Amino acid sequence: MTNTSIIDKLKRTKILDLLKEGKRIDDRALDEHRPLVIDTGVIPHANGSARARLGDTEIVSGIKVQPDRPFPDMGDKGIFICTAEILPLAHPSAETGPPQPDVIELARVVDRGIRESGMIDLSQMVLEKDKSVIGLFADNVVTDHDGNLFDTCSYAAVAAIITSKIPKWEMKDDKPVLIENQESDTPITTIPISVTMGRIDDFIIADPNIDEWECLDARITITTNSDGNIVALQKGGNNGFTLDQIVKCSEISISSGSKIREIIKQATQSN
Amino acid sequence: MKKFESKKRYVTPGDVITTSPLRLKENVILNGKRIMSTCTGLSDIFGDSVRVIPLTGVYLPKIDDLVIGKIISVSSSAWFADINSCYEGMLFGQEVFGRGSYPTLDDMKSRLDIGDLIAARIANFDRTREPLITISGQDLGKIDSGELVKISPTKVPRLIGKQGSMIQTIEGSTNSSITIGQNGWVIVSNDETNGLLKAIDAIRLVDEQAHVANLTDKVNKMFEFEGGK
Amino acid sequence: MGGRKSDLVLLDENGIRCDGRKVNETRKIIIKTGVLKNADGSAYIEFGGNKILAGVFGPRDIHPKHMADTNTGVLRVRYHMEPFSVGERKNPAPSRREIEISKVIKEALQPAVILEKFPRTVVDVFLEILQADGGTRCAALDAASVALADAGIPMKDMVCACAAGKAGDALILDVNNEEDQAGQADMPIGYMPNLGKITLLQLDGVLTPDEFKKCVELGIQGCKQVYEIQKKALREKYFSNEGNS
Repeated sequence: MTNTSIIDKLKRTKILDLLKEGKRIDDRALDEHRPLVIDTGVIPHANGSARARLGDTEIVSGIKVQPDRPFPDMGDKGIFICTAEILPLAHPSAETGPPQPDVIELARVVDRGIRESGMIDLSQMVLEKDKSVIGLFADNVVTDHDGNLFDTCSYAAVAAIITSKIPKWEMKDDKPVLIENQESDTPITTIPISVTMGRIDDFIIADPNIDEWECLDARITITTNSDGNIVALQKGGNNGFTLDQIVKCSEISISSGSKIREIIKQATQSN
Repeated sequence: MKKFESKKRYVTPGDVITTSPLRLKENVILNGKRIMSTCTGLSDIFGDSVRVIPLTGVYLPKIDDLVIGKIISVSSSAWFADINSCYEGMLFGQEVFGRGSYPTLDDMKSRLDIGDLIAARIANFDRTREPLITISGQDLGKIDSGELVKISPTKVPRLIGKQGSMIQTIEGSTNSSITIGQNGWVIVSNDETNGLLKAIDAIRLVDEQAHVANLTDKVNKMFEFEGGK
Repeated sequence: MGGRKSDLVLLDENGIRCDGRKVNETRKIIIKTGVLKNADGSAYIEFGGNKILAGVFGPRDIHPKHMADTNTGVLRVRYHMEPFSVGERKNPAPSRREIEISKVIKEALQPAVILEKFPRTVVDVFLEILQADGGTRCAALDAASVALADAGIPMKDMVCACAAGKAGDALILDVNNEEDQAGQADMPIGYMPNLGKITLLQLDGVLTPDEFKKCVELGIQGCKQVYEIQKKALREKYFSNEGNS
């Protein structure tokens, strides 16, 4: 999505004035996320799926699982690939065509948060070492853009992965053959939760909506795992953070992270 | 044929309103003898004419309409404003600085800059170019203060009310000053925060329920406990 | 086309199809409108196992500029399938099939939309297939019409769509995925119900001239059924406050 929207002076002034009073346009606390709603199994024909709504931002994640060749130097591990697309119906300035740098960054940041946490035990997704492994694809599509795609996308993908099922294949004559009706749960070791924060002047706000997003000086996405440890991190935007600000962000990512982890656990257990 | 001539009816695109030979006004077309709606709205037979009042759709500029706009670009000859339409409003520098003047870009920006809100009138609109707007006129020009509230352009007539009754009720009960653009953008001014918020709430209520019966009662109820100001 | 599962009974001796339907019965259809915050108009449809989201922007400024028409607004349609929408994961890049269907749907909507009042603008229709289950182009066209009406784009008529076909030697309404793969003919139809015009028509398979005529008639019946559901979706969003419709 190219940034053709004009930076609204009035809007930025209004947001900053509110922040000086400790408030935000939608009455949230500075470190508060918008309401999060997760529905799983929304695409029943896929191996797993979820729709995440964070405020008015909405993303659908679909999981496809199929046999694949392993990566050359990782013959004993399954494959995990994460993609993202901002659908043109999500926002008036969303464009069709090959993915722009911001969407590619989105996919890679969400991917890393999940991969680096070791969420999926890829060693349990091998059919025949060095020859045939199981590939899990998480394809994420943004259907409505109201800011903070990083978190929304991550929550949708994580919920979809937790509730997805891996079919059973057996090797016959060097080829994987599907054995019907013998699905198993995806091997999950931890639940990574991403928390995105932005800086406007000296104020740190969590889960910026689209109005706030357009006024940010800098942003950071921090992913924590179920043990409360930090597993992935990405700073973006054209300005910087002080060390104190980064530390504050890491604290928010842990406290908000554990709250959101509970929401996702609830949403994925009722499946 | 059902006799619904005298009643307003909800219609969707393609719905046949009547086969009587009436004059075609807004949002209807003739197919053979059938007069059909081209949009989602309320069909309205008035006198010997028929139209459909739309419940959704973009604002299309009409000459003399009052609109609220936001400047989105400046050159040395003109400003372009977002007027919540599929076309941008064009305001010539010469219109503001005088005929035969040659303002510099800085001159233009110091008068009106990107992000400024203006109250303007549609001066001219033809099919070949962007609508021309003017800010010469009473109560037109840069808006210095007030909240911008956006409603659907199709709800503007209801917000104004019969002979201004609805908007006068809201202004009077909250002590606010309200400027309604035909393009659905509305400026609400009030020194007092409470009154300001009440006025904005009332405007939003009209936006949500413009075509519900007893909307006027609902709005009056909102102000009942205020005890008037 | 061509047979796949030879043990799949497309039509049994009681005239019941492989998914339990009678020959002139459509699958379950649900349409909701106004489901997206940013789009000017939107609709979501579930047509059997198809799940499709439609979003409309416009009339709006057109890019690239050279595509602008000085006399009228321009209609653009993009039909796109998500990677997870089909059995084997699909590459996100647009396929030739998607490009053709985009064109066919655009040409089905063009006769209905009235864009002369909006020269030099574009109306964009985005159709996203979240889950495919046979007959996506018809379901997508159904959602597109509702999304256009939701956006307030002036239209001469709605466009409704449904496929008819032949399987197990019988003419059937609303061909599902299995019937599409293993049956004898599949004919998607797009129809303007009040003007009585067919604006989308394609055929895969073999029909006698008599079967062809009956199949089109059957399909139009199906289209009219969908039209009622399209109207219901608009009524629910716009007219429900009043209580009468």
